[in-house]
Amino acid sequence: MPDQGNGNEISYLMTPYAGPWTKVEAGHLLRRTMFGPTNQQMLDAVTNGMAATVTSLLQMPAVGQPLTFHPDETIAAFGTTWINSVYPIDTLLSQQVETARVLSLAGYQYERMNKEPLSIGEKMTLFWVNHFGATATFDSRASYDYYELLRSQALGNFKQLVKDVTINPNMLLFLNGASNNVYSPNENFARELLELFTIGKGPQLGVGDYTNYTEQDVAEGAKILTGYWVDGLRSDTITNVSSTFNPLLHDATTKTLSAHFGNASIPNGGATEYSNYIDIIFQQNEVAKFICRKLYRYFVNYDLTATVETLVITEMANTMIANNYDVLPVLTELFSSDHFYDVSVRGALIKGPLDLLYSMFNATSTQTNFDLATDYEMQNNVYWLSEVMGQSYLEPPSVSGWPAYYQEPSYSKLWVNATHLKTRFDVATWLTILPGISVNADFFKVDALTFLDNLSDPINPNTVIDDMIDVFTPKSVSATQKVILKAILTNSLPDSEWIIQYSQYIGDPNNSAVSDPVRQRVELTLNRLFQMPEFHTM
Amino acid sequence: MKRRNFVKNMALASAGVPILLNELKFQSVAKKLFSVSGAADDRVLVIIRLNGGNDGLNMVIPRDQYANLTIQRNNILIPENSVLPLTAQTGLHPSMTGLQGMYNSGKLGVIQNVGYPTQNRSHFRSMDIWSSGLIDTNATTGWLGRDFDNHYPNYPTAYPSTQYPDPFAISMGYEVSSTCQGLMANFSHAVNNPFDVYNLNNSGAVDDGTYFGSHMDYLTTLIAQANAYGSQINDSANAGNTLSALYDPTNSLANQLKYVAQMISGGLQTKVYVLNVNEFDTHGEQVLSTNSEQGKHADLLKKVSDAVAAFQDDLALLGLEQRVAGMTFSEFGRQVSSNASYGTDHGDAAPMFLFGSCLDFGIMGPNPIIGNTIVPQEGVPMQIDFRDVYASILKDWFGVPTNEIQPLFEHTVTYYNLLGACSVGLEEEELTKAQALVYPNPSFGNSSVRFVAENEWVKIDVYDIQMKKVATIFDGNLSQGEHDILMELKDLKAGEYFVQIQKESGNVNTKLLKM
Repeated sequence: MPDQGNGNEISYLMTPYAGPWTKVEAGHLLRRTMFGPTNQQMLDAVTNGMAATVTSLLQMPAVGQPLTFHPDETIAAFGTTWINSVYPIDTLLSQQVETARVLSLAGYQYERMNKEPLSIGEKMTLFWVNHFGATATFDSRASYDYYELLRSQALGNFKQLVKDVTINPNMLLFLNGASNNVYSPNENFARELLELFTIGKGPQLGVGDYTNYTEQDVAEGAKILTGYWVDGLRSDTITNVSSTFNPLLHDATTKTLSAHFGNASIPNGGATEYSNYIDIIFQQNEVAKFICRKLYRYFVNYDLTATVETLVITEMANTMIANNYDVLPVLTELFSSDHFYDVSVRGALIKGPLDLLYSMFNATSTQTNFDLATDYEMQNNVYWLSEVMGQSYLEPPSVSGWPAYYQEPSYSKLWVNATHLKTRFDVATWLTILPGISVNADFFKVDALTFLDNLSDPINPNTVIDDMIDVFTPKSVSATQKVILKAILTNSLPDSEWIIQYSQYIGDPNNSAVSDPVRQRVELTLNRLFQMPEFHTM
Repeated sequence: MKRRNFVKNMALASAGVPILLNELKFQSVAKKLFSVSGAADDRVLVIIRLNGGNDGLNMVIPRDQYANLTIQRNNILIPENSVLPLTAQTGLHPSMTGLQGMYNSGKLGVIQNVGYPTQNRSHFRSMDIWSSGLIDTNATTGWLGRDFDNHYPNYPTAYPSTQYPDPFAISMGYEVSSTCQGLMANFSHAVNNPFDVYNLNNSGAVDDGTYFGSHMDYLTTLIAQANAYGSQINDSANAGNTLSALYDPTNSLANQLKYVAQMISGGLQTKVYVLNVNEFDTHGEQVLSTNSEQGKHADLLKKVSDAVAAFQDDLALLGLEQRVAGMTFSEFGRQVSSNASYGTDHGDAAPMFLFGSCLDFGIMGPNPIIGNTIVPQEGVPMQIDFRDVYASILKDWFGVPTNEIQPLFEHTVTYYNLLGACSVGLEEEELTKAQALVYPNPSFGNSSVRFVAENEWVKIDVYDIQMKKVATIFDGNLSQGEHDILMELKDLKAGEYFVQIQKESGNVNTKLLKM
């Protein structure tokens, strides 16, 4: 792996970055924390400075609720939310309603990403969706509650989040916690709680001993977590899904953890025993390191070198422990650090499907603003595109999340292979020079004219190209690529021809005879840019 | 690519490197001793990954353990009389009629109790282990990827080339396979539909020496490769054919195997195809609470069985049976006792299937022994190391010399006779006077030893591990040239033995593993 940027020393300093603050650095921050910043958002960030921008980003915006749009939803009225609505008593009808709700939930979630304000909100929610790896369940009210939990606490307290997720109905169903009882322990959740959610697995030291925990802890943990089950699923009378604790199903014995947890003894704690257990797990500082490594890989660079471990992860973990596992201070420190802005990590990640799709849409201010049903249908189509490219939001491929976020040695390179690459290029073409996603009589595609209108100086073709490159690539494009882009934009004519063409358009913007040629040039240019490797990194 | 080239390249990289085994100087017999002669010169391995941890006890059922299975997993156990018999002791899940038929015609092999020492029950880690074939090392390469790296240096930048125009491996679907992860890149090329036409814009991106630059390099190579491989695959798919009527269009695995048959018959020279079936992680509702013969696991097993049977039928109709072999694997089996959710939790060993018309065996290894009391978290103990299955496939099927295979793994490899039935025999290759070859090795009955003599007196003795002589095989004069001496060893008990060949032109020691 390369380990330096242009021959300069890499900075591993976690102290505040004090270097130049231009569109390049601001763009890096916004691209890593959002899906697709616009040119204007980048300029604003430059004006506001790093500290203020980081503060703004690290706030969770208010969001709405998924609404009914599909005709198969027969309980909640069109345009209202179904999140507290019962299901029909008939099984077949109930399944139809559920299908309508899944589509609503997916459309809602994707609309959140498409219409994100200047905030880390959706990027951070996706981090937790990946971290906990659960699939949406068969009652969308429970699925919605789960995603809402992850979103509402996305920047909150990690320990509390783990506790809440542990008894969240969607998770109880996904990892069989709901059927884990004293008569027949099911250790699915107990294992992942340690291996994937909190402390992580170290090298295998011996039979059933994974450095940070043992098989004994898995078995005892399963006992600790017994007794929870889920109530209200697909109910025709109960308006929400909840988790309930039944003491009769709980293993009331005293559990003993391994030496890795100081042989801690956990007496019967009934409904809150799980919380006592999680407190013990979180006494191990390795938990902070484990989650900070994941944050680092997600936001900075997947290549976690020994130096990064020593200088960066240690510092992040110390901050997290000092703040009793609050996430916000860790991210504030990270996004303000000298290391985060080091040139060596810029462009070090390959965009996943969601980053790819919403960087096309969001950076061009392209949003679904049709009618309610059309908007949802459009976003469902985007969902399908992301699924084909390997990232289906409601269904991570396993409880470990998406391999591109964790699988050595390739990590984010796993987002692309020959098949994905072809799909990516085909999608780029479809969303630029072709009609785009079609629902009824409407089309959803990159809004090239709005994008152009919002650039710094659209009349100057050279500035247009520079802005495009700033917006869509982390470290510019090669000289050859830039020549190609310029030639496409201007149709290989002198700059003056673009100036004439653009002036005609801006003088009569609603006249398609003069706007179409301009739009087409921008679309063609974006189409090509979206097929350049530079665009696929961030 | 010609198979012979494949083998020859491998030999070149390693010729004459002796390996020390248990302090006994074991002479490497390089070159093509293990290679396969005959018409088959382009062999293909099809790997089907059962993702999630397959419940082996619900797939290959130890019929002689039913009483105890009832104790362990009553709520999910299928009725005894529904089991499809393979032998008096062993049967298949009732949904696997296709594979039962293949077993009866010698085209399905079951390797029992496959796993690895000190089972890791994390999906994550265990799949890494199965993909890499390495346990102790935190591996970053796949077992096939390492083998490919040995033979195709400078991958990916130097490929495709005139000599190797086709992808070395294909992963069906949207993802590449970690079994094929090489040092620099993954050798598998993801193919969702071989009829897709590739015409991607070539890249003009530049590597600036940073992480970003390495991605520019990676994507640029990928674009060029996607175009080149895409066109080869497309040509093959268009030139190819499938003939079986058994493919069920609603079976996604069958559809993918049909594409594989299409590509192979169209002349694509890809060596390995990897396919994936998800959802084997059946913690809950593995079977229907109302009918243990149905449910998620039954559907999955039927999917695999129907698809493989259709594929094998197609290979026979296409005349490709001698060229294609297949294998299934999963990251672990499941626990012996079921849970209350009509499911099973992560366990240890499980059976593997091998399929094709070149199998050397039907069922290898005994049934697992099921206890009569429930031991929490107990899995099926491993008896056969999966790495030895991999090694044996490389040896039998791809003709990789054993001295090339051993360094691919951390442990001392044991070979089983798995896929040698279509190999005409050992290819003639000159042995030096300091070499000897025991075959088959490991030995399940008798074996032979081949060596060179020079018109001299020769004595062959076999010693056990304590160096106690257990047999004298030969004592007399031999003419100049190569000799094959049968060793009547079928009565020896299982274990490691040394074969000592004393001769005036130089003694040779070699090792024999009796199974």
